[in-house]
Amino acid sequence: MKTAKHREGTLVLPWQPDFENLIDEHQSMVFSLALRMTGDRGLAEEIAQDVFLELNRHLNKIETPLHALLWLRRVAMSRSADALRRRRLRGISVEIDETHGAQAEERSSPLADRVERLLATVPEPQRAALILRYQEDLTPEEIAAALGAPLATVKSHLQRGLKLLRAKAAIHLKEYVRGA
Amino acid sequence: MEPESTDDVEPMDDFERELQAALARRPAPPDLKRKIVGRLWQQAGRSHRRMIWLERIAASLLLVAVAGAGVFWRHQEEQRRGEEAKQQVFTALRIANHALEQMNAQLAEHNQDGQ
Repeated sequence: MKTAKHREGTLVLPWQPDFENLIDEHQSMVFSLALRMTGDRGLAEEIAQDVFLELNRHLNKIETPLHALLWLRRVAMSRSADALRRRRLRGISVEIDETHGAQAEERSSPLADRVERLLATVPEPQRAALILRYQEDLTPEEIAAALGAPLATVKSHLQRGLKLLRAKAAIHLKEYVRGA
Repeated sequence: MEPESTDDVEPMDDFERELQAALARRPAPPDLKRKIVGRLWQQAGRSHRRMIWLERIAASLLLVAVAGAGVFWRHQEEQRRGEEAKQQVFTALRIANHALEQMNAQLAEHNQDGQ
């Protein structure tokens, strides 16, 4: 609730969203989601900017920090899917380089880079479910809410996506993955 | 058989744990916040400029409306005064006509008396 409430005689002030704090807190999450969905660092940065600008326009509707997190996650995924759709319509395909064009200090481990490359080859709905499951540590129910998809569909995407990724890893990441 | 632990209650296997570690959040570009705030200011500037233009247009329209109303009022006032002047002329003509008729009648009476 945005209005002040009296609870046991004390005045509880409503949470006031601070736009710059929200950027500080969630920019990594929004950027990572967009980056892993699109595989394009420039596009991911653009999507992250658009998502936060949209958040600023809807700031008066954001009621709690959790609401902000869920809103950002949902809009980041939706904007990334839109960007991929636009790119498909234009017939542009982006080759994903090992580091997504990351600067040297941001580069992750070779395994992480290769896993990301494999993930980028997984079909988009499965990739979305896997990213939310393993990057954001969400349950299938939370993923279904974030993607606005039925739970059964999300579970199916997770199973198929994981199976596909496991098979690809067994071929391409033998030296890293045990038991694949 | 392949383990498939997609359900939230099932524990993750080695592959899933490695996948989770590999998919840790990446840091955002260091200038992302600056770019977002910059675009926000740009948008605010654009919206401010748009407001200024709207105000200018509104002021111009008001000015045109006031000038139009002034011209219309002046035209109406001139028409009213013209009508008033016309009525005054008609009244004067009626009075003069009446006076001439009276004089005519007196002259006719005087002529009859003389005969």
